[in-house]
Amino acid sequence: MNTTNTMNNYSLIIMTDDKQVVLERILQVTRYRGYLINGMTAKVNTGNNIATIELFVSSDRPISLLTDQINKLVDIKSVRVDNNASMLSTAKECSA
Amino acid sequence: MTDNKPLTGGGLLFKVLEQHGVNHIFGYPGGAIMPIYDALYDSNIQHFLCRHEQGAAFSAVGYARASGKIGVCMATSGPGATNLITGLADALADSIPMVAITGQVPTAAMGSDAFQEIDIFGLSLACTKHSFQVSHVDELEKVLHQAFEIALEGRQGPVLVDIPKDIQMANVEQTFKIAAPLKNKVKLPLADISKALDLLKQAKQPILYVGGGVGMANAVDEVRIFANKTGLPSVSTLKGLGALEASDENYLGMLGMHGTKVANLAVHDCDLLIAVGARFDDRVTGKLDQFAPNAKVIHFDIDTSEINKRRIADAPILGDLKENLPLLTMSLEIKNWQAKIQQMKKDCAWRYDHPGTNIFAPAVLKAISDLMPKNTCVTTDVGQHQMWSAQHMSFDAPSNFLTSGSMGTMGFGLPAAIGAQISRPHDTVIAVSGDGSIMMNIQELATIKRYQIPVKVVLIDNEKLGMVRQWQDLFFDGRLSETDLADNPDFVMLAAAFNIKAKLITKKSEVTAAINEMLDHDGPYLLQVKIDAADNVWPLVPPNSANNEMMESA
Repeated sequence: MNTTNTMNNYSLIIMTDDKQVVLERILQVTRYRGYLINGMTAKVNTGNNIATIELFVSSDRPISLLTDQINKLVDIKSVRVDNNASMLSTAKECSA
Repeated sequence: MTDNKPLTGGGLLFKVLEQHGVNHIFGYPGGAIMPIYDALYDSNIQHFLCRHEQGAAFSAVGYARASGKIGVCMATSGPGATNLITGLADALADSIPMVAITGQVPTAAMGSDAFQEIDIFGLSLACTKHSFQVSHVDELEKVLHQAFEIALEGRQGPVLVDIPKDIQMANVEQTFKIAAPLKNKVKLPLADISKALDLLKQAKQPILYVGGGVGMANAVDEVRIFANKTGLPSVSTLKGLGALEASDENYLGMLGMHGTKVANLAVHDCDLLIAVGARFDDRVTGKLDQFAPNAKVIHFDIDTSEINKRRIADAPILGDLKENLPLLTMSLEIKNWQAKIQQMKKDCAWRYDHPGTNIFAPAVLKAISDLMPKNTCVTTDVGQHQMWSAQHMSFDAPSNFLTSGSMGTMGFGLPAAIGAQISRPHDTVIAVSGDGSIMMNIQELATIKRYQIPVKVVLIDNEKLGMVRQWQDLFFDGRLSETDLADNPDFVMLAAAFNIKAKLITKKSEVTAAINEMLDHDGPYLLQVKIDAADNVWPLVPPNSANNEMMESA
């Protein structure tokens, strides 16, 4: 992808069933569709086996192109862009 | 099932397949899938032994595309599984419902770099709609039901189920329950048709742009009725061919890189594009920002992610095409546009008056199309012969033209034809191939021989990788790099080695009689058609050009 274009930062909140390789699926789709991963957090609610993944990405592409693709993954329950997130480009945390 | 023999994971697999109406599967055995092949011995499902796992995958794809049923293939672990990958990728790219079963090394050996161990589950992420690795025999039945459900639901696609050998061998009881859906069905908003109705009313020069989604949505009748009632001029993608009737006077043929001149010019000039089950693929649009530059867009699709992906839709309509398209039906005042299109169509008609005695491939394919029985299923490989088939043959339905559209996989045609013929034993099946493509899965002649599958192979032979050669001539200063195939085997002799009747023709005067002989022959047949190596596919939209800038000669 063209890295000279303006890169925008986004924060995604992804709710997913805690299933095999769901994290790999999300990461694979994110990379393939042209989004750079700047950081992430992931935790599982063991009561209902729902995982919440926060994904901080940047790209010159509209974020809807990524959310539509993540939403197609079978185990995903919801994806939303967190417009209230602070500037996340410095986030390097990875607790997954 | 032998009496008193407990049900195993392998046996359960076939019981679930039968529950889903599977009659035929394509595969190749090996070490880590032996318990499944042992259970096959007791099953009523007919297995076709292909001679390469890629052949098995493509036969499953051809079976699915020709019949509308799900295709099933299976392979062992390691190389068996990796050999399925190209078929899975092809099925994903063209949205074909398929279930692939792979054997895996025993659970205890997984992760130890065991013999024939590969992480096919990991490899499957990029080339399947979804995949499973079974971790306990008690979850096998549920996973298999889910695999079928996912393959067929919404935008269809391939699903892989990887089953370790110990789970294939473990005893299990069948519950006969269809598992609950993995996730709630995507709730699509009710179609907002009002904006689309306004756009259509206002349009002076609208075009109907039909894609592969029409056949997948089982909406051929609805699209034909809509085209007929509105009188819209219409164009088709490669995968949409057969959805519209070729005899419809408003139908202009295929658009895009090798589309008809009239289709590309009409789309370029239109003021409204009604895309139905089409996705603005790069081979369709040419230079994207110059594709239908003055058109508003109404976009019907089942897949949310296709809306606004490559072209912003002024009126997106998500959901079932079968239900939604009829809502747009109205009579249109577009007589001037229709008249202009008719004149363009007349001016751009194909010509078959090729000089000399050499065989002209477009004329051969047109002749086959005219002579073949109704409801013949044609498969192709990839290259010049594929584009000539798309341009010069006519098809009754999308399920009668099977070609690797998105992935463009050489080696697709012969095994896909085998699958198609098995799914439709009473219809004629013709595989149009090239001398490059046929060699990619030539081993499947052995499958044809073994089961006496009466596929007719038309081999368009220019002793070249013709499409690459064409591009080297046109865009790489004629530097012909690795595209000469003059040392190909003797194809007639090769066919004879597999007990397949074959004939070579080299002159125009032989064409009609040879086609009739092939079509009249009861069993498999290979017709090798020598053509001039310099023949090109025209028109051609050069790379990074608008569709109205097509080349019509070198």
